Amino acid sequence: MPLCNNKVADDGTSAQPLQEGKALVDSLIKVVACYRHLASCVGGCTDNSSLRRDLQQTRERAQTLALSCRNHLTARLRDKTLAEAERKETELLWVAFSSCLELLHADMCKVFTMVKHFSLANNSAMVQTGIQGGTTEVAARALSLPDLQGAGDGSQTSSMEGQEQSQLEQEIAQVDRTLEDMELKVNVLRWSVEALGPQYADPVSTDSASLALLSIDEEAAQGFCRRSQMFAVMMLCGVAIFAMVLSVCVVFLV
Amino acid sequence: MQDPKSGVKSQTQRLVITTIPHAITGEDIVAWIVNRFKIDATEARAMGTMMVAFGYIYPLQDHKRLILKPDTSLYRFQTPYFWPAQQWPVEDTDYAIYLAKRNIRKKGMLELYEQEQYNSLYKWMNHKWDFIVMQAKEQYRAGKERKKPDRVVFDCQERAYWVVHRPPVRNIWTEYRPYGQFKPRVKSSVSIGAIVKYATTYKEHDPLLHSCLPSNPWLTDDLVLIKHLIKVECWTFSFGELLMDPRGRADFRLFLKKEFSGENLAFWEACEDLKWGAAETMKEKAQQIYKTFLARGAPRWINIDGKTMDITVKGLAHPHCYVLDAAQTHIYMLMKKDSYGRYLKSPVFKETQRKAIAPEPHRFTRRPSLSPIILRQQEEEQKAKLAASGPVDITQLCRFTAPVPHLAVYTGICEAQSTASPGLMTLPNSAACPSPISVAIDSTPASERRFDGNGGPSSSHFPSIAEASVSEEENQTPALKSRMTLSLSRLLRRGCNGPSVFASLSPKCAVVSGGGKVQPLGVEPLAQPQPRRIANFFQIKVDIPPECRIYPIDSEDEEDDSPNAARGGVKEIICPWETVTKKDGAG
Repeated sequence: MPLCNNKVADDGTSAQPLQEGKALVDSLIKVVACYRHLASCVGGCTDNSSLRRDLQQTRERAQTLALSCRNHLTARLRDKTLAEAERKETELLWVAFSSCLELLHADMCKVFTMVKHFSLANNSAMVQTGIQGGTTEVAARALSLPDLQGAGDGSQTSSMEGQEQSQLEQEIAQVDRTLEDMELKVNVLRWSVEALGPQYADPVSTDSASLALLSIDEEAAQGFCRRSQMFAVMMLCGVAIFAMVLSVCVVFLV
Repeated sequence: MQDPKSGVKSQTQRLVITTIPHAITGEDIVAWIVNRFKIDATEARAMGTMMVAFGYIYPLQDHKRLILKPDTSLYRFQTPYFWPAQQWPVEDTDYAIYLAKRNIRKKGMLELYEQEQYNSLYKWMNHKWDFIVMQAKEQYRAGKERKKPDRVVFDCQERAYWVVHRPPVRNIWTEYRPYGQFKPRVKSSVSIGAIVKYATTYKEHDPLLHSCLPSNPWLTDDLVLIKHLIKVECWTFSFGELLMDPRGRADFRLFLKKEFSGENLAFWEACEDLKWGAAETMKEKAQQIYKTFLARGAPRWINIDGKTMDITVKGLAHPHCYVLDAAQTHIYMLMKKDSYGRYLKSPVFKETQRKAIAPEPHRFTRRPSLSPIILRQQEEEQKAKLAASGPVDITQLCRFTAPVPHLAVYTGICEAQSTASPGLMTLPNSAACPSPISVAIDSTPASERRFDGNGGPSSSHFPSIAEASVSEEENQTPALKSRMTLSLSRLLRRGCNGPSVFASLSPKCAVVSGGGKVQPLGVEPLAQPQPRRIANFFQIKVDIPPECRIYPIDSEDEEDDSPNAARGGVKEIICPWETVTKKDGAG
């Protein structure tokens, strides 16, 4: 279900579809991001049937989203009565949508190839990549579900794997067709689209913990810390001296 | 490699509070490779480095240098998603997303080269930028869902992937610089400024930047030593320009003579000669210069300050080619500051400017310049003419001694012959100019005459080359030297065809000295009307013996009917790549 910003008061018909389209594209982007995280685990030591299942489910979700997104955007762009500003925004969304779909397509192809090489049946061939935890949370995020239903069946038989592979193949082909259709149906000149957002994304949150872990190898900017420390120390000293002077004066006067 | 028993020993990487498994040390990797493939340590190390360089294993410390260090530094296997094996295209979009993600994590964490790339990607992928930023955010958020160690591992993996595929530019240089010396670096703004200055100053004068003057060295071989106005203008740009141009230097010398300060320039030139001249005479030259210019009471004493004189004199105790550098620079500066300015204002220079002509642009014709061979022939001619100014030798008889101009070399054809011999195919690409071959061929009448006079071979009939050569071999044992020219003529006379000529030529070359029998390959009676092209081709490259003259075409009609031209076989053929005098049988 797409995350819609449902406004209580309906302020005009044009805002709603735009928001809807934006929400659709946002969720698609989210799902594709999660899919990429999942895909990076394929072939690694955490590769198991649940991962594959997660992949599949995420994929399906992405595809449904993509379909609805496409329909929505195509309808809007074909609408001749659309205002200029809105058309621009819709075009932006369109470009984002097509890039997202391309990313998904690339990831799906990669997963397809990897799955061929790293069969679940042969567990020892998995690369020890150092990943320990599972990716269920990521999948949950993708599917917008609070938690997933159970672990599913323990091991997959090879026939199931084969089935999955063929299914994946079909899905890839479908995404391919979607992309082609998009190019044909709607004529959006990519180079005429200008991004509205900033060049640098704002930091989402200061995740100091993982930062610290990574920056052990990297050289941190030490100088700045030292400078600030020095400054604080000097301030303290200044305050202490001031206090001493005051007390001396008080003693003197008294 | 991962086998717990026989693979590389796996360790855990300890970061601040977490431990991440599956780390392997460099030395373990090397040891394992040595064991597995039974190779020695250096090769194993190289192999390991390749693995790292490709991205199958990535280092955990010092992640930018993709080499395998055979010590306790840690490595880890890369996840198959990031393997290069499948050769998935490395997308710039992904790279942009990655950089944006890193920037989200901590602002300003991007390195300089990454920053630059980020900016350029922003420029040309601008239409996708919203998507990229959003995707980066989403990926970051999705990553937060994972456990902390996994997050770190994933970040390391991605970072390693991008180090492989978008290598940091500067680091590679520092890594592979063999001597570890850093060349002094010039800011590009400075160097570009210099280029711009040069281009604006020399816009009209540089033969490359501007349309050519008649003596553009890039385009023609001939040197036209006229003082062009443009060249003269060049002298005003800098003192160096003036000195580099030989005409300029001569002019300057003239001026200095008038001013009675010619010794400066003479000293400068002597120093240049010392620097760039022959090394064996260097010591003597240095001494000579000292005696002439520097010693007290020297005939052409130059005025340099005491300190420089001291340095120079000390250096002259152990002379090397740069010993006079300090003095030379001093004198150069003196001339530049003092004489150069006066020269530019002097009547000498003004006269030169007045006399200098404005050149016309070069009108290219299709004629090439004289080839070195022709030039050499002309020189030899001149020498011979000077030498043999005595009785006219029949060999010297040359009705047309003027060298034929505009000879095209290596055309390999003889258009002259084609008219003479019926049935000969008209050869393609007969240039408008008479080929030197024809000219060279025309020289044979003289030699022919000579050898006819000397009672050359008796054969007056021209059988086909094949038969002729066969018969010739059996019959004759001629003297070697006369053979050369004789064979030349024979070669030309024959209506020889390509293949058999080739065939016959090569083995025959081998017996140039022997005079033995040579079996021509592929002997078959060949039709006469074959192009003489090949023969002429071979002919051309031969160093024509000095006696032969270069005749123009007219004398060709003296040649006999050449259709049956194979008068006698040719025993020794002069291979074109051999000089006439070479007698060894190098084919």
